[in-house]
Amino acid sequence: MTPVLTIRSLAVSYGSVPAVRNVSLEIAPGELRVILGANGAGKTTVLKAILGLVRPRSGEIRFRDGTDLLRLKPHEIHGLGIAWVPEGRQLWNTLTVLDNLKLGGFGDRDKRAVDRRVGEMLERFPRLGERRHQVAGSLSGGEQQMVAIARALVSAPGLLLMDEPSLGLAPLVVREVFRLVREINEMGISILMVEQNANQALKVAHWVYLLETGNIVESGSAATIGAKESVRDVFLGGHA
Amino acid sequence: MDLFLQQLANGLVIGSTYAVVAIGFALAFTVLRVINFAHPDIFMVGMFAGLVAAVEWPALGFLVVLIAGVLGAGFVGFALERTVIAPLRGRDVLMTLIGTLGVAIMLQNGMAVIAGPDPIAYPALIPRRFVDIGPVTLTLRQVLNFAICLALLALVSIYVRWTPWGRATRAIAERPDVAAAFGVNVARICQFTILLASMMGGVAAVSVGVLYGSAHAFVGLLYGLKAFICMLVAGNRYFEGVMVVGLAIGFVEALVTGYVSSSLRDAAAFFVLIGVLYFRPNGLFGSYAT
Amino acid sequence: MNLASLEPVIIFTLLNVCMALGLYITALSGQLSMATAAIAGVGGYLSAILTVKFGWPLLPATILAALAGAVVGTGLALVTLKMRDFILKLTTLAFGEALSVLAFNWDYIGGANSFTGIELKTTIWTALAAMFVAVYVTWRFDGSRLGFASRAVRDDPLAASAMGVSIAQVRTVTFAVGAALVGMAGAIQGHYVLVISPHDLGFFVSLNFIIFLLFGGLQTMWGPVLGAVLLTALPEILRFSNQYRLILYGLVIVLVVLRRPDGLLTRTPTGRAVRLSGWTLVPARAVTQTSPEQHNRPLPASLRRVADRVPLKAAAQ
Repeated sequence: MTPVLTIRSLAVSYGSVPAVRNVSLEIAPGELRVILGANGAGKTTVLKAILGLVRPRSGEIRFRDGTDLLRLKPHEIHGLGIAWVPEGRQLWNTLTVLDNLKLGGFGDRDKRAVDRRVGEMLERFPRLGERRHQVAGSLSGGEQQMVAIARALVSAPGLLLMDEPSLGLAPLVVREVFRLVREINEMGISILMVEQNANQALKVAHWVYLLETGNIVESGSAATIGAKESVRDVFLGGHA
Repeated sequence: MDLFLQQLANGLVIGSTYAVVAIGFALAFTVLRVINFAHPDIFMVGMFAGLVAAVEWPALGFLVVLIAGVLGAGFVGFALERTVIAPLRGRDVLMTLIGTLGVAIMLQNGMAVIAGPDPIAYPALIPRRFVDIGPVTLTLRQVLNFAICLALLALVSIYVRWTPWGRATRAIAERPDVAAAFGVNVARICQFTILLASMMGGVAAVSVGVLYGSAHAFVGLLYGLKAFICMLVAGNRYFEGVMVVGLAIGFVEALVTGYVSSSLRDAAAFFVLIGVLYFRPNGLFGSYAT
Repeated sequence: MNLASLEPVIIFTLLNVCMALGLYITALSGQLSMATAAIAGVGGYLSAILTVKFGWPLLPATILAALAGAVVGTGLALVTLKMRDFILKLTTLAFGEALSVLAFNWDYIGGANSFTGIELKTTIWTALAAMFVAVYVTWRFDGSRLGFASRAVRDDPLAASAMGVSIAQVRTVTFAVGAALVGMAGAIQGHYVLVISPHDLGFFVSLNFIIFLLFGGLQTMWGPVLGAVLLTALPEILRFSNQYRLILYGLVIVLVVLRRPDGLLTRTPTGRAVRLSGWTLVPARAVTQTSPEQHNRPLPASLRRVADRVPLKAAAQ
């Protein structure tokens, strides 16, 4: 089975500052893989490189049957079926919830399908449905996260890139978000998630990568990684 | 009271033109993150394009002359975006400012070489007539100018709020990365935005040319600075804010002319700027973090 | 071509170099002032008032003009202390324009009819002397601890203050010193042109100086010098094409901006490459603008030099 995404020896620098030194990973279709790492480890940069928002210094990123993502522009990459849930939501705060969702499917040629999916999202998330004409910046953190996820789903992606979905959210909301993540994954959508909250992430992941200052230092199944002493101390507060 | 209303009316007419030029600046600045110094001179090119059309083919009506203005300004704006603005994207905003300033200098002086540095008479495409609206008296040209500018502003507002490309434009203004990642072809929409700003300027320019009966190679200098101030006072969060401020500044200028002294008219805008920025450094309606 | 016809070009070039250097010093701490022309105007008007209405000789009048410039610079620095980059530029712009309008309406100094009746006291030697002063001051400033502290304040104010640099002091001093140079040049220019008009205080003239700076490159002090020399002399050299010269001038600006967006000079005359440490961090060929994570950035090179010179208190313990 060809992996949905393959990254080989990725290196990204901002000016002369290396953010990602050497990252290689892959995701099989339907898998949920997590990159764990502390602040500044380079996690977001990896996602941005996949999305074409940053040009890497070296390395290779291939999608499905070998499409070279490094040759494409961000809007073309979106057209392939890769969607993004950015760190900190990053909604268009001056636009309404509805506008945010509609923009999620901007590049799609099939406008009717997009409209249908927008409607589906508003039904699936009734709180958003109620607030559809409300300006996105006025929603609570949890609601914004829902909008961000819904926005990504509107384009019916094959691969979802999620950047710290639990960031800044209350524990109850976090659990809801991860329940949603599992639901999305069970529908067959591959997910590459970047997280600091190892607790929740380990519960949903098939495979985990540990990222430290731009390098992958550990890689294994969720169970293996979760059992490691080092991980427990750093990420899980010393207990499993 | 009548004087007040008359000045209000005069001010709104002038202000509507400021607003149109200011929207052009605002579009370039918020969406492309660029200070397009050449925008007022694209306006000027539009004015002259209309003039040429009116002189060469006098049988054409006002509407066709407007279209000529649109085409002339639009063409120059589009060329500018392709040659100067797009290659400099991502660089320090001051570099693009200087680049467009260079273009502005070329346009102004180029036109001065072609048409001479002094004002030229504009064909009287709209008759000189007075219109009474209640206690206020305006010329037909003033009313038409106001109507045209308001129509343009409404057009932009509708575009930005109700069309997919307009939504995408606002998305780019707020978060360009995210917009690109959701399928928005940022480069193409930026092109169109400049094109739109230029074409609008072209329409307004012809209208202004007819209003004052003259075209001038250096007319851009007059409107440029004022329009820029409008943009700064309003902040770049809401396009409608820029429109409102444009009208307001026109109004303030008219009041100053009528009640204080006409020589201080040009200073009025600056004092408004300093006053507003002191209390609200991000503009009256706020800005996105730049 | 005899020397006499070259005199205006030479004098203007020398004086523009002074003003460009004054702006450079102020800009070194991250404050790109758009009030340069206004400060020069203050210097010009003040010195002219002193020589014409009170009979002062040129030198003390110039010194006072420089002092006046320093006062204005200090004021501007204090007012804009808390302001961000863009707003700061705007405030200086607004200030310059406000001064211009003031000059328009103040009849004591001639109002809209300009200040006239100034005696010709400036020669090439006077202008040369001014330029030497400016170059010397800038050169000493550039390599001094204050110079590096300024760059540190520009690049990373948070880190700079963490290293014991008082941002307020640095910004005030750089603005004052830079403005003093500008005021001095303004005084000398006034006594050459013999007329000082409120138009000279305006935004477009200030923009010219900024163009000298950015055109020539901000990395070394010789960039503004080169920029001032080229862009003052160029319109004169192009004089042969008469009407078309401004068009060519605009074209040159556009071409340079497109080909060398960082300015003409990125190496010092001795060939040492100067690291780019300007206002924007340029990501690795980023498609759109992104910003690196704060925690990964090393201290800017400029800070290291400050650290070298700041005595470590820990050593005493």
